[in-house]
Amino acid sequence: MLLWRQFAMEWRLYSRDRAALFWTMAFPVLLLLGFGTMFRDSAGLGLKVVRVVPASPLPRDAALDQAMTDLQLKVVRLSKAEAEAQWSQGETAAQVEPDGDGYRLRLNSYLTAQAGAAAGLVNQAWLVAQARLNGSPDPQRIPAQVESPGHKRATNYASFLLPGLLGLNLVSMGLFSVGMVNVAYREKGKFRRLAVTPLPKWVFLLGQVIHRLTVTVLQAAILLLVGRLVFGIQNQGSLANLLLVMTLGTGCFMAFGFALSSFADTSEGYAAISNLVFLPLMLLSGVYFTLDAAPAWLQHAVATLPLAPFIKALRAVFNDGAGLSGHGAGLAIVAAWGVAAFLLAVRRFRWA
Amino acid sequence: MSDSALRIRGLRKAFPKVVAVDGVDLEVARGEVFGLLGPNGAGKTTTLEIIEGLTTADAGDIEILGLNWKQQGRDIRSRIGVQLQSTSLFNKITPREALELYGSYYPKCRSAKELLELVQLEDKADAYHVTLSGGQQQRLALALALVNDPELVFLDEPTTGLDPQARRSLWEVVRHIKAEGRTVMLTTHYMDEAEALCDRLAIMDHGKVIATGTPASLIADLAIPSVVELTFEGGAPEPSPFASRLGQAVERRADLWEIPTPDPKALLPRLLESAEAEAIPFHQVHIRRATLEDVFLHRTGRSLRE
Repeated sequence: MLLWRQFAMEWRLYSRDRAALFWTMAFPVLLLLGFGTMFRDSAGLGLKVVRVVPASPLPRDAALDQAMTDLQLKVVRLSKAEAEAQWSQGETAAQVEPDGDGYRLRLNSYLTAQAGAAAGLVNQAWLVAQARLNGSPDPQRIPAQVESPGHKRATNYASFLLPGLLGLNLVSMGLFSVGMVNVAYREKGKFRRLAVTPLPKWVFLLGQVIHRLTVTVLQAAILLLVGRLVFGIQNQGSLANLLLVMTLGTGCFMAFGFALSSFADTSEGYAAISNLVFLPLMLLSGVYFTLDAAPAWLQHAVATLPLAPFIKALRAVFNDGAGLSGHGAGLAIVAAWGVAAFLLAVRRFRWA
Repeated sequence: MSDSALRIRGLRKAFPKVVAVDGVDLEVARGEVFGLLGPNGAGKTTTLEIIEGLTTADAGDIEILGLNWKQQGRDIRSRIGVQLQSTSLFNKITPREALELYGSYYPKCRSAKELLELVQLEDKADAYHVTLSGGQQQRLALALALVNDPELVFLDEPTTGLDPQARRSLWEVVRHIKAEGRTVMLTTHYMDEAEALCDRLAIMDHGKVIATGTPASLIADLAIPSVVELTFEGGAPEPSPFASRLGQAVERRADLWEIPTPDPKALLPRLLESAEAEAIPFHQVHIRRATLEDVFLHRTGRSLRE
């Protein structure tokens, strides 16, 4: 009885926070409707493999292509140069190319799940093709190599994991911790006293962003140090570039967090709203798996979001030791989102 | 320079279920302590928060130190000091840090040391806010309201929840603020506080100002300078038979009867006679001066404390 009352009262109080209730109930539905609509027309796994077309095709090439198509792999036929360009953009998960008497598979170190699945199917197709050609008693497998788009070969998988994890951590710090703290303090009336002072909102907000930024960068530095000491993972690029990318990305997502926090009245509401932004951002970014199965318009739309350019630049600097010249446009997208979010945050900020 | 610190016309604010402020006109002169007196829910705090720029009014004009919120918000904020009804600071900030931080927001600021001395918090200067007692937190809030050397200070229920001694010491600080030449506007639901501190006051009820004046003039306007009280042990009986014999209104309170009168000396013999005749088992007779409480009771038919 006591338990029942406690339970009933929890529900009653919870249901009075209409915003939280709405977002909690509506969020999964929205996610389903959104993704369902986007992927409604795609058939099968949508696993894509880039096929580097040989200069003079042999019978085995035709047989392999046929077998891959039979296995419902989406085969994208590109010339060597085209394939190379796409690979370095980081958009290819798996690529099969002629190599001497046979073939070679190149797998993207950042998209290992998709690449692995595609590689399995390619190998299966090759076995089928060999059997069809000569009923081969001694079928060959295609050797595979894991490589980053920056052509750095995987010696240690953890080293490829690290920048992605770090980036995700920076993003979630920005989106969740800062916005949540902001809403909680507003909820408790901690800002009301500031409202009657002449302190400008933007100074207050920027002060918080910079504070959180330094906390987060410090946190990242500790993570990188531990990665280096325990796993021997080293930053391949310049420290200045790494710091610049981290600061830019974190600042952008913190501004996001502040802007989002102005849409929530309670911490519960904020948790729901920030998830509504974070999950699609992560799932659609194309950095943890590609959106080969998604319609073209979605892929274009997603290209304007800030998460992918941020993670890509982070990986390029950290793993490939690349400069930032190839990432100018991407980082400009990140900066533009950051500034826009900050302006929105200042505009919508409420002290109470 | 205008001689009013504050001038308000036709202020109105409605919330979904209640009209909190319903056509308030007020004028506060420079250098005075002005009180808004009224029961909880009378609209005092909402009125104050509109004046302080925390809430926007639905209608009405506010001129504050000759400025208006629309064009001169920053100026106003620099020149007023505010103590909110509850000031929620970060748990682990110390009084000294809070005063220095808030002082840094203003073009002109007073030293933390001087303010801590004024509100007698020197020995708690470096203690975390969360460890201060309610009275100490109120005193810090008051010091914060003075950090920018303001011309006009707003105090929202500055002594609510404090023990009598802490209230007295806060009153001393308010008198000191006035002596420094600042204008003070405060809200309270304690009539003794209003009488002790305020040069002038407005009595509010249900979002309206029902009377304005000095405490003395408000009481004098009642034309019943005295009240005779009959006290009872264990609850006052129904007074109507007695009242009709006496030919005078009698208010029943929990354990006493109140009989307002312009002339207690003339009333007393008749009163004792009637009590004898009706066999009223009263315990004691008191004669006291009328207070603001009586003013409120007379104007609204209700007690301030209800």
